Amino acid sequence: MEEFKHFINIISRPKIIFPIILTLFFFVFPPTDLLFNINQKLRLHKIWTKKGGIILFSLFILFFLFGLTDPNFKLIVTKPDNVPIVGLIFLTFFFLWYSMKQAYDNDTKIAEGKPPKEADDAKEKVLVWPDLVYVEFICLILCSALLIVWSIFLKAPLEEPANPAISPNPSKAPWYFLGLQEMLVYFDPWLAGVVFPTVIIFGIMSIPYLDNNPKGCGHFSFKERKMAVSIFLFFWLVLWVFLIVVGTFLRGPNWNFFGPFEFWDIHKLEPLANINLSELVYMIVLKQKLPTNILLREIGGILALIAYFGLLPILLAKTIFREVYNRLGALRYSIFMILLLMSAGLPIKMFLRWAFNIKYIIAIPEFFFNI
Amino acid sequence: MDEQQERHYNIPKLNRIFAIASLVLLFTIIWMFASDYSREWKEYQRAFRNLEIEKTRVRYDAEINKLKKQPEFQALQEKLQVAQKEIATQHSNLIGVQEEIKNLETQNSLLTQEQKLTRSVLDATKYEYEEALRKDPEHASIVGKQYDDLEKKIANLKLAVEQSDANLSTKQKTVDDSQTKLKELEKEEKTLTKQISILERKLKKIDPDQMSVANLVADLIRDQPIIDFANPNYKIEQIVLKDIKDDVVFMEVPKVDRCTTCHMGIANPDYKNAPQPFTTHPHLELFVAKDSPHPLDEFGCTVCHGGRGRGTDFISTAHKPSSDEQKKKWEAKYHWHDFKSWEKPMYPMPYVEAGCFQCHAGQTTIKGAEKLNLGLQLIEKSGCYACHLIDKYKEWPKPGPDLTHLPSKTTKEWTYHWLQDPKSFRHNTWMPSFFNQSNSNDAESLARSEQEIHAIVQYLFEKSTEFSLGNMPTWGDPKKGEEIVASLGCFACHQIQPEKSKRDATRQALRREHGPNLIGLGTKTTKVWLYNWLKDPNRYHPETRMPNLRLTDEETADAAAYLVQNEVSDFNNTAIPAVNEMIIDKIVQDFLGKTATQDEAKAQIAKMSLDEKLTMAGGKLIAHYGCYSCHTIKGFENVKPIGTELTQEGSKPAEKLDFGFIDMEHSPHAWFTQKLKDPRIFDRGKIKAPDEKLRMPNYNFSDEETEAIVTAILGFVKDAPESKIKPRTAKNLSIEEGQKIIRQFNCQGCHIIEGEGGAIQPAIAEWLVKFDNRTENEAQSLVTSVSPPNLVGEGKKVQSEWLFNFLHQPLPIRPWLKVRMPTYHFNATHLNALVKYFSALDGQDTFTEKADHVMPPEEFTAGEKLFSKDYFDCAQCHIVGDKLPSGSSEKWAPNFALARTRLRPEWIIEWIKNPQALLPGTKMPNFYDPQNFDSSGPEDILKGDENQQIRVLRDYILTLSGSEGKLSAPAQPTTPTQPANVSKEEIVPKEEDVPKEEVVPKDEVVPKEEVVPKDVVPSTQPEK
Repeated sequence: MEEFKHFINIISRPKIIFPIILTLFFFVFPPTDLLFNINQKLRLHKIWTKKGGIILFSLFILFFLFGLTDPNFKLIVTKPDNVPIVGLIFLTFFFLWYSMKQAYDNDTKIAEGKPPKEADDAKEKVLVWPDLVYVEFICLILCSALLIVWSIFLKAPLEEPANPAISPNPSKAPWYFLGLQEMLVYFDPWLAGVVFPTVIIFGIMSIPYLDNNPKGCGHFSFKERKMAVSIFLFFWLVLWVFLIVVGTFLRGPNWNFFGPFEFWDIHKLEPLANINLSELVYMIVLKQKLPTNILLREIGGILALIAYFGLLPILLAKTIFREVYNRLGALRYSIFMILLLMSAGLPIKMFLRWAFNIKYIIAIPEFFFNI
Repeated sequence: MDEQQERHYNIPKLNRIFAIASLVLLFTIIWMFASDYSREWKEYQRAFRNLEIEKTRVRYDAEINKLKKQPEFQALQEKLQVAQKEIATQHSNLIGVQEEIKNLETQNSLLTQEQKLTRSVLDATKYEYEEALRKDPEHASIVGKQYDDLEKKIANLKLAVEQSDANLSTKQKTVDDSQTKLKELEKEEKTLTKQISILERKLKKIDPDQMSVANLVADLIRDQPIIDFANPNYKIEQIVLKDIKDDVVFMEVPKVDRCTTCHMGIANPDYKNAPQPFTTHPHLELFVAKDSPHPLDEFGCTVCHGGRGRGTDFISTAHKPSSDEQKKKWEAKYHWHDFKSWEKPMYPMPYVEAGCFQCHAGQTTIKGAEKLNLGLQLIEKSGCYACHLIDKYKEWPKPGPDLTHLPSKTTKEWTYHWLQDPKSFRHNTWMPSFFNQSNSNDAESLARSEQEIHAIVQYLFEKSTEFSLGNMPTWGDPKKGEEIVASLGCFACHQIQPEKSKRDATRQALRREHGPNLIGLGTKTTKVWLYNWLKDPNRYHPETRMPNLRLTDEETADAAAYLVQNEVSDFNNTAIPAVNEMIIDKIVQDFLGKTATQDEAKAQIAKMSLDEKLTMAGGKLIAHYGCYSCHTIKGFENVKPIGTELTQEGSKPAEKLDFGFIDMEHSPHAWFTQKLKDPRIFDRGKIKAPDEKLRMPNYNFSDEETEAIVTAILGFVKDAPESKIKPRTAKNLSIEEGQKIIRQFNCQGCHIIEGEGGAIQPAIAEWLVKFDNRTENEAQSLVTSVSPPNLVGEGKKVQSEWLFNFLHQPLPIRPWLKVRMPTYHFNATHLNALVKYFSALDGQDTFTEKADHVMPPEEFTAGEKLFSKDYFDCAQCHIVGDKLPSGSSEKWAPNFALARTRLRPEWIIEWIKNPQALLPGTKMPNFYDPQNFDSSGPEDILKGDENQQIRVLRDYILTLSGSEGKLSAPAQPTTPTQPANVSKEEIVPKEEDVPKEEVVPKDEVVPKEEVVPKDVVPSTQPEK
């Protein structure tokens, strides 16, 4: 068992788990036809059947129950602040499975030339009273009862007045901000705290204008909206839920990374060996002194960024995104690509940090401009 | 369409689910109420109420039994019965009267009623009449008549009411008169049963068996949920302390202590044996009680105990277990865990006295806090304050000896061995061990330590300065020396204790260790050095607290010869490892490398000779280990101490202490304990360079001592409650300043001051047995009379000016004593502080006016008579000038010649009146019976007026210094610049003829003007 725990601790390290999740994700939620075919061949879509769901769910619960036997795991998971996050994992998983099951069921039906399941629903007449209101009322009562019982068992984790002499270590943001806090590890505050949240809001607002795919409206479907669903789930599952889970359960004292079965040792030290791209280029590859000219020094990063935002969309439009480009038109396509690339910048930066210890792509501390 | 088909869900089924859901909600709401209502403290209050009922019942029964047995009560009961019977017999007579009263009362009320009504009609008519007069004069006459009639009627009615009232009161009086006696008796009964009725009322309030029905119902209802907001039985009790603030970081809030919510019997002495949390406070005389110095209403609980006063359950109040067993018990019973977020957790019981320090920081000893006192004294004795800055000890002298003249005192070899392991030379030395500790006992560290010691020794000897040793007149007689050392009072501060023994963890034991244990002096130093040291300690070490005992040259030589006899065999003979230049180079390199580059350091080392390297390394190491904090060392005159400041150490949270890899409780007290037991332990398991290692030396404290020191450290907190600190009045400041000096110079080693001290007495008893041929029992009974005096009431007793001079240059007052007051190197500040201290302690002004009495001849004769053999025979014990008393020396008493300058005249009167009251156990007899004062004096002098006799006797004594105080010895004026010379020939006689030459009336020896330099004169103003 100890070996298993050790194994889990090791693969929980971001360097390992993040690439795994990243690759696995696009096979489970394939955005393109090619990946979709592989998905079908690997029969990964079987997850979204009753049997698959039950097996996966049972494995999940089994792991959780096993984890509770470990004192470190138990301590973190049963902390009153963290219990809702445990609930969040299970609920997210359940609703994901439930919606994906319906989507695949509909896809099969549509493939057979039948209308989707929701088409039947539309024919049926349902009254607001009693069918809707009554059921809602019962739900309300049961939820109230649940919340009361919860509050009796787990007292609100209120603490004494804040004290600068004893700051909690780790100091964590509220759970819904843990994704943002995690972002602060990789980007400067002006980016992670100001630019990205703004772009996220504008990005979400622009979705209805960017998405002109008329298919899959009013019913669950995956096949008809592969790319949209995949992109959405990537940001929702990987960059939001996963980061909250990481922030809650895997970030310990001094914001160090700890496996789920690891003791949160306050003295644990991790080497601070991060370097800037410019240092990597000049000092490690070219074995030279850093140029004093800022522009010359950061030219690599600047070029990379120009290529990323300038050349990559064109390249993609010519190759795998040709169809998308045709469907969206130049303006929509550019906005879509800028938003997509900016968002993709986060996982890319995370990956660069973990895999190559890259601190900044462009580092101009002289002007507080670091990317 | 069918109704059923329009429904998506099955309605009856939904109804059932709805019913169940509603029941579930109802149940959870009830559950919520119950859970919210059931508080831990309510259980305690219920239990306490039962306890209270039980106690009150027992007391009630006891009181009743006691009362019933009282003869007064029995007599009263009989009288009451008689009176009641009397009234019963009169009953038939009174029936008629009472009937009449009843009738009269009815009549009376009817009349009053009519009177009221008529008056209102009259008022209305009056208005009508006035109106008519103005508007309708014709009609007015009719109304006017009506008005007049009514007025008449009212007058009649008034008369009738008055008559009826008078009738009623006469009748009533006859009834009352017959019952006066009974009422008086009943009143008397009430006073007798007052205590019982209080208890009865209390029982009626709390005991369901005794309650009235209405109270019973109220009692049941008042604690029900929701209703209990009004006036419940069980409620949170709190003490709000507006003048003490809790710092909650961004604001300060008044302290609120809710401890009494559960600790309900804390102020009530009846609950001494009740279980916790109801137990009475164990020291009601000091705390909690209304008449104690710390009443509950003004101090609360947490200001002393720590903890979170606002908490109302076991955990949120930040209780702290005293021991591991208690911790385990609490974990089982209360699910106890540490309440981390509160910065000031409760002091665990063993350290509870720490709470006293915050307000009593200025005092040297805090009455009632024995462990804290011991801790503070240990801190003083070990010199913790030398390395660790502690506000309280800012001006304290360095605890260790001066090392600037080391070569004249000892050898390099001895110093090497001493540094390596001081305890192998002197088992109970206060010099702590720096080397061979838990983080430096591996082979590599030991090898380095050897070279480090070489370097330090080299530095100390290289940098020392010349000290000229005077020659000894004789080689000295150790035999005589032994007696000198035993008799003069050396053992107030020193001991000679060759066997290893555990030190008593008492302050008295520490007083006897004020100076070093005098063993191995022969190994450590030479006879010549000792001679020079004893002759004038300040010459060798200007800051020393060792006083000058005013020994003659021969005596000094004898004492030195005796002391030097004691040797520690083989100490100097152990081989000293050779100097290893490689390691020395490495040490120098390590230090130089901090400021210079490696190459520069190497180049510098290559240029140096071995001695230079050793000296250089030695200097750096002395700085590293902080030797200069305790010792005066050349080159380190103004260097700051090396330790962490401890002034607010008690407020440090555990998070700021490095527990290293040691598996232990993470609390400050556990950390301090561990640190004191093994100062280097937190290095265990760490990889550190030699100069990064912990360097606090090891004092080898015992468990008791550690606990005491930890108590003191926990007491060093910030934010003392200013409103509760002992008032900073001139008097308190003078007392505190004096206490500090008394502690520094160990006055209590000899004297009893403020009821403490006299540590020398066992040594004196020993001397009596060994050198004075007394038996053990004799010695015990004699010891107080041949020991240095108890200084109780000294401020009342002696004149400030005399005290100032005496402390500056002591003169024998009790020449029959072998033990002598030594000459201290007090400066003017010390002297003034001490004088003020004694005055303040007894509530005296520093200066009193001295009246020179001219005695009328008849008073002089009366005084002379009282003084004479026929009456009090004062000269039988007291020395008068050069006349010695006849009896044996242990019966002798101070010289009257000193009285005029030494004693306060008003004190002499008090003293003659009742010496036992001023100094219990004194040899001075009571000539006047304090119980029966007015008839205890001789009748034939001054008409038997005792007060006059005492005054006259006092005045007579005050004349004695002049008239009979002629001296055989020539007087020698002295000046403060050469105090040590005084004693040599004139004052200290040879042992065979003790007193004759020694008796020196003070005013002839020391002319006042010369002794007290003008700027040294004590001032009455308190120093700021």
